[in-house]
Amino acid sequence: MTQAPAFETDFWKDANLRKVWDDIVPGEPRKTIPYKLTLEAIQLYCRSVGEDHPLYFDETYAKKTPYGGLIAPPSIHILLMFACTPTDDWMRTPGTINAGQSWSYNKPARPGDTITLQARALDKFIKRERLFVVHDNVFFNQHGDVICSGRGQTIRPA
Amino acid sequence: MSTSFENLTVGDMIDGPKFDVSRESIRLFCDGSLDYNPLHLDDDYMKNSFGKTNFGGIIMHGMNNFGLITRMLTDWAYPAGAIQRRLETRWLKPVKPGDTIQPLGVVKSKQSTQKSNWVLIDVLVRNQRGEHVAAGEAMVEFPTSGSIAARAG
Repeated sequence: MTQAPAFETDFWKDANLRKVWDDIVPGEPRKTIPYKLTLEAIQLYCRSVGEDHPLYFDETYAKKTPYGGLIAPPSIHILLMFACTPTDDWMRTPGTINAGQSWSYNKPARPGDTITLQARALDKFIKRERLFVVHDNVFFNQHGDVICSGRGQTIRPA
Repeated sequence: MSTSFENLTVGDMIDGPKFDVSRESIRLFCDGSLDYNPLHLDDDYMKNSFGKTNFGGIIMHGMNNFGLITRMLTDWAYPAGAIQRRLETRWLKPVKPGDTIQPLGVVKSKQSTQKSNWVLIDVLVRNQRGEHVAAGEAMVEFPTSGSIAARAG
């Protein structure tokens, strides 16, 4: 409630516009949208996993560290994945099951950053009758620096 | 005593925070992550089966495990000036309201490269029955002195 008031929390909305497994073309870019990462959004995410490190909450402390100011925890890409994609993105499809993810971290995201995402499906396959899609993502800050990059697998609703 | 690359030994354990999972914690994670998939919200929807699986009710986001493992790793790494550089996880069992989960890390190996020092850590998340609900591997970098300020940029 403290950020992104325009965010559509009803994932059934636009469900008919989303690609199903058959439509997804590996290699084709996903539509993405730039997102202004606020301190409020970082701290709300932090509270949801019990993160209380002063690097995320105490600016006076953070300024004295090598980071030079407040940062977001590395796992902030969990939020950025939904913040940087539109309502018709297939990651929102109800019943999408996350099967695992791997992420590499370069620079921390910071409050006030404008984050952009380059993302695509990289592969899709069927295993034990389940429909898998591999997704591939890179998040950047407004300076063009890579924040983090990662891959994951989801099982698509049949 | 703070952790350093030199004094770490293979087999060293990292204890993560216990986390009580409830309908409220899952709802808060929806707000924190903007992931409002009905898997995490809608009991009626969760009466359906997913392939051969029926979860019997809402389940916690798999990425909540990822966030907790990250919290464990960074709380361990920051005091040493070390940085979480990679985390890979897979989910083994669903987590439901009423469960208590706790991540754990074990130092698997240490390696020095041309420019830095790396620690590989096996991670897992257990529930209150001792079942493994998530597993994976992390890489934490212990930069050589002087390089951290430049890299933290």
